[in-house]
Amino acid sequence: MRIGIVCPYSFDVPGGVQFHVRDLAEHFLGQGHHASVLAPADNDTPLPGYVESVGRTIPVRYNGSVARLNFGPVTAARVGRWLERGEFDVVHIHEPVTPSISVLALWAADGPIVATFHTSNLRSRAMQAAYPLLRPSLEKIAGRIAVSEDARRTVTTHVGGDAVVIPNGVNVDRFASAAARPEWQGTEGAPTIAFLGRLDEPRKGLPVLAAAMPTVLAQYPGARLLVVGPGDAAAARERMAPEVAAASEFLGAVSDADKASLLASVDLYVAPHTGGESFGIVLVEAMSAGAPVVASDLPAFLRVLDGGRAGATFQNEDAEALAAQVVRLAGDPAARAELAARGRSRARVFDWSVVAEDVMAVYEMVTHGAGLVRTDATDTRWTRLLRRGRGGDD
Amino acid sequence: MDAITWGVAVVAVLLGVAWYLSYSAARLDRLHARVEGALSALDAQLVRRAEATLELANSGALDPASALILAGAASESLEAHNERSGEDLLEGQHFAGREVIESDLTAALQIALTPPVVEELRGDPGLAGEPALARVEAAAMRVQLARRFHNDAVKDVQRMRRKWVVRWFRLAGHAELPQTIEFDDEVPSAVRA
Repeated sequence: MRIGIVCPYSFDVPGGVQFHVRDLAEHFLGQGHHASVLAPADNDTPLPGYVESVGRTIPVRYNGSVARLNFGPVTAARVGRWLERGEFDVVHIHEPVTPSISVLALWAADGPIVATFHTSNLRSRAMQAAYPLLRPSLEKIAGRIAVSEDARRTVTTHVGGDAVVIPNGVNVDRFASAAARPEWQGTEGAPTIAFLGRLDEPRKGLPVLAAAMPTVLAQYPGARLLVVGPGDAAAARERMAPEVAAASEFLGAVSDADKASLLASVDLYVAPHTGGESFGIVLVEAMSAGAPVVASDLPAFLRVLDGGRAGATFQNEDAEALAAQVVRLAGDPAARAELAARGRSRARVFDWSVVAEDVMAVYEMVTHGAGLVRTDATDTRWTRLLRRGRGGDD
Repeated sequence: MDAITWGVAVVAVLLGVAWYLSYSAARLDRLHARVEGALSALDAQLVRRAEATLELANSGALDPASALILAGAASESLEAHNERSGEDLLEGQHFAGREVIESDLTAALQIALTPPVVEELRGDPGLAGEPALARVEAAAMRVQLARRFHNDAVKDVQRMRRKWVVRWFRLAGHAELPQTIEFDDEVPSAVRA
């Protein structure tokens, strides 16, 4: 199958959508499909062979944050050429309502179109203002995908209709094959506990874990808390009780490989997030690496943990309940091994191989009996008219 | 204003209206095509699901009672499809009571494919039941996708057809208003896990 994927965000910077697009494209290429990714990027950014750049981006304030996007007639022409040259069976557009090449591609294409909605915090004001304009383009989407239940809710309330939920994939094998490091491994009676997340973002839950630690340390004085994530470590240490600060090691932001090794080494991974999580990819990473997971009972986490079977849960923001779970598991290697085993098998559900199969099923449904993706006839006729009207020479 | 200016203005307005009508007609046409495509995809997947179910029933991997239940529900589904083959799917908009039949097949799969049965089927890849089960699963999942995409398309058509330009100028012609298709298409919980 010839697949065209449109990514609105620049490949110059790392980001969730970019990784998603990269992994998806590489998976399909590995299966022998043809895949071409259209994305913004600077001229000097090294790009994989399957990525075609539409040029550099402009920083724009949109939806409450600064996004690097590109648009305008030159970009539109490039998008049109990519569509014409590609002769795609299906075009998969990510974030189709951002003012970017995604909207331009949706505008210009006609035929089997799939769209994936990533965001779960669309500002309704921007959407409502642009609605009459976007409506005809959005009607072209034959298959809508949302990466989480929350993203799906955004689609149903702001865009209308429904979407199928296909979560982000995780490269399970990369985590499963990570080697443990002795300095991060605990011993009998002195377990290691990992936390991952921004230190100064309270919703990541470090304060909850810090409040639970005194109880844990009373039982296991040798316990160590390994804190990974960007942020001000000195300030975070200040906010902790003295004995907790003494038992904590701040590792800062670490590489993907180190993160995988850490998760493969520790006795417990704790996810004390208090809200704002729509999926919980880090839980899947921990399960893949074989770390027993203790997580707050957020709906998103319960879904990932198979209702609590693949990881221990505690009532959100309840530090004592968290401490009880940690103490129980720290003293029970068999229970930890059992959780780790269930976590490993649960993580397989979120592997790219499974996720990409689901995406391929969506492609199959929208391409059933349909022809290739063409450039939109009504659109080109109209733009040609416009150009002629302006005396353009294009 | 002289007559020529008036004439030009009227022609311009008429041209504008004509463009809008043709644009709206093309948009509606594309939406109808989307519904038709989604419906034919759904139909194809329902056939696949029934055939895979029949294959599973005849594989000898199930107990005879379960096999009979599955075979009965699957052949009803195939019969309902064959009775209507050749008809234009969109003509008359009848999914023609197939909702009940397909819900019945879903229920039969749910009853027959209990967790221990699924475990046994998957535990022996050499058995004929295992590939058949995989095909049932794949088709059942695609039925879900196709039905959802169909209903999304139907809702878009319905919204478009409520517009005054479509109603006043009868842009929809004689095409009947498509309806959403509602039936139980859950993948058996033991299979999905």
